[in-house]
Amino acid sequence: MIEFIVSLLQASIRAGTPLLYATLGEMITEKSGILNLGVEGLMIMGAMSGFALSFITGNPWIGILAGGFAGLILAFIHGFFSITLKVDQTVSGLMLVLLGLGLSGLIGKSYIGMVANYIDPIAIPLLSSLPILGKILFTQDLLVYSSLLITVFIWFILHKTSFGLSIIAAGENPEAADTAGINVDLVRYICLLVGGFLIGVGGAYLSLAYAKLWTEGMTAGRGWICLALVIFSGWIPQRAVIGAYLFGGLDVLSFKLQAIGFTVPYQLLKMIPYIATILVLLLSLIKDKYRLKAPSALGKPYFRGER
Amino acid sequence: MRIERREEISKIVLYSLPFLSILASLIFVGILLWFVGVNPIEAYYIMLIRTFGSKLGLSELFVKSTPLILTGLAVAIPMRAGLWNIGAEGQLYMGAFIASFVALNFASPFAIPIMFVLAAIFGAAWAFIPAILKAKFELNEIISTLLLNYVAIYWVEYLVYGPMRGKNVYNFPYSDLFPECATLPRFFDTRLHLGVIIAFLIVFIMYLTFRKTSFGFSVNVVGANPRAAEYAGIDRKKIIVYTMLIGGAIAGIAGMEEISGIHHRLRAAISPGYGYAGIPISLLAKGNILAIILSAMLFGFLYVGGSALQTTYSIPIAVVYIFQSLVVLFIIGGEFFVRYRVVR
Repeated sequence: MIEFIVSLLQASIRAGTPLLYATLGEMITEKSGILNLGVEGLMIMGAMSGFALSFITGNPWIGILAGGFAGLILAFIHGFFSITLKVDQTVSGLMLVLLGLGLSGLIGKSYIGMVANYIDPIAIPLLSSLPILGKILFTQDLLVYSSLLITVFIWFILHKTSFGLSIIAAGENPEAADTAGINVDLVRYICLLVGGFLIGVGGAYLSLAYAKLWTEGMTAGRGWICLALVIFSGWIPQRAVIGAYLFGGLDVLSFKLQAIGFTVPYQLLKMIPYIATILVLLLSLIKDKYRLKAPSALGKPYFRGER
Repeated sequence: MRIERREEISKIVLYSLPFLSILASLIFVGILLWFVGVNPIEAYYIMLIRTFGSKLGLSELFVKSTPLILTGLAVAIPMRAGLWNIGAEGQLYMGAFIASFVALNFASPFAIPIMFVLAAIFGAAWAFIPAILKAKFELNEIISTLLLNYVAIYWVEYLVYGPMRGKNVYNFPYSDLFPECATLPRFFDTRLHLGVIIAFLIVFIMYLTFRKTSFGFSVNVVGANPRAAEYAGIDRKKIIVYTMLIGGAIAGIAGMEEISGIHHRLRAAISPGYGYAGIPISLLAKGNILAIILSAMLFGFLYVGGSALQTTYSIPIAVVYIFQSLVVLFIIGGEFFVRYRVVR
């Protein structure tokens, strides 16, 4: 039993890591006031580009970077529409999902069934030999560890630096931020692009470290779960870690239960994360203390003076 | 550099924008095709000839446009009330599920009408969940409708791998074939089926509903100006629920028609993203109900042409998604430059 729980928790972290990257990426984007509904499209482009570049260069780390840049490029398209042209953010975000799914399907076709170089776990000396915790926490890959560092880093930037203050101001009250001499559009672009990069890395993690393959549409709605996780975590980075691992756990539960001879049909278990996401969203809306945390200007274009 | 509102908006440019956007997307997709090693001119020629060059092609154009007309409506009607129904795909699957259940268990001369009604009810029920959550708790309907798609698709997959798998299907994930009384009649030795006519009929009914009834008027007011709706005494929550129910019902009917008109059995992959295509279709038609027919036919052409490309060059049908998203992005970008100008 303990062995089962240890392997479940270890796998939950691995399955939760792509969600964590994408959730953090969307969170900083939303903190600055931009709603990027295209997470699913950015992730799938990240997954495809990451796999392709690892296949071509033989270096999975170049793949991870490529995944990040693929996310960044799509995020830039969203920025052009939502920040520069200030048109409807919902439409442009939704279209990024279709664009990402289409482009990754077209370009990625030749990589289906191929084998690339992957990111392998590294056991940290000493710590990994700790009983139970060692296996769960310290036999992961570098990107798992770096995702936790990035979480702390984002928290630090948001709450301990003046740039973080500018981000929050741009998301809460862009007029006031502008008056205080903050370049709202620039701050939003930076957050959107950095966020897009992280979302792309999350996608690349999926193909290069978690699933270790590329198939069309492999993100399977994870991008949408991440949008819900941002709300679930109340726009607080630390809480995103818990949410991501929880949903990672739901994702792997179906295989793990099957492995020990549990006979619930696979397809019914696969529904759990999606139903759970809706329930969790509902809970966080019913409880008032979470509801207030959304950036006030989220999704609203900012017009400087009269246009 | 700043942005300034144009005093005069050119009507000609505004109206020709959709066509220019389609052209620009064709060029863009052409470049992409060239990039993956396909001659774009040859590819577009194949798309045209396979669609318009034969009776079969033309009939397929209507066959593929039919679910798109319905999912376009399923998105457009809630959109008129300012709601995003990203869940047409799941609603379609739920309609297909119940229609198959009726077809396989209650064969009778009344099977077809019962299948239509129950498919509409199940599609509507699937849309009711996000609608009521939106009306009661302001739960974001974009996320909830989308997540429910996956639940519905896995549900159908579970059925065809489990309880509804047929006895004579050689282990394929299919149900048995429907009895003849549960399949829609076909015409002209093609796959053109009765559902095509019904889809056009539904468009017409919806057009009249939104043109002539006070309900249609209320929906338009809620969509255009929620505050004005409140002053006019229109119950916004009711409108949210009703428009989503109508949208879901129409998507459910789309599922029934695909199953009963085309596949004649329940299977896992019923729809190559018809539900999602409803979003750009509705955006391209700008919520105008009659225009949905035109924009769905354009997308129907892409699906017919897309599958011709799939068989000729083995290009995935996903290329259609690229076109869909580009058309909309070009339109919203173009509209901006029609209404505003950049001055130094």
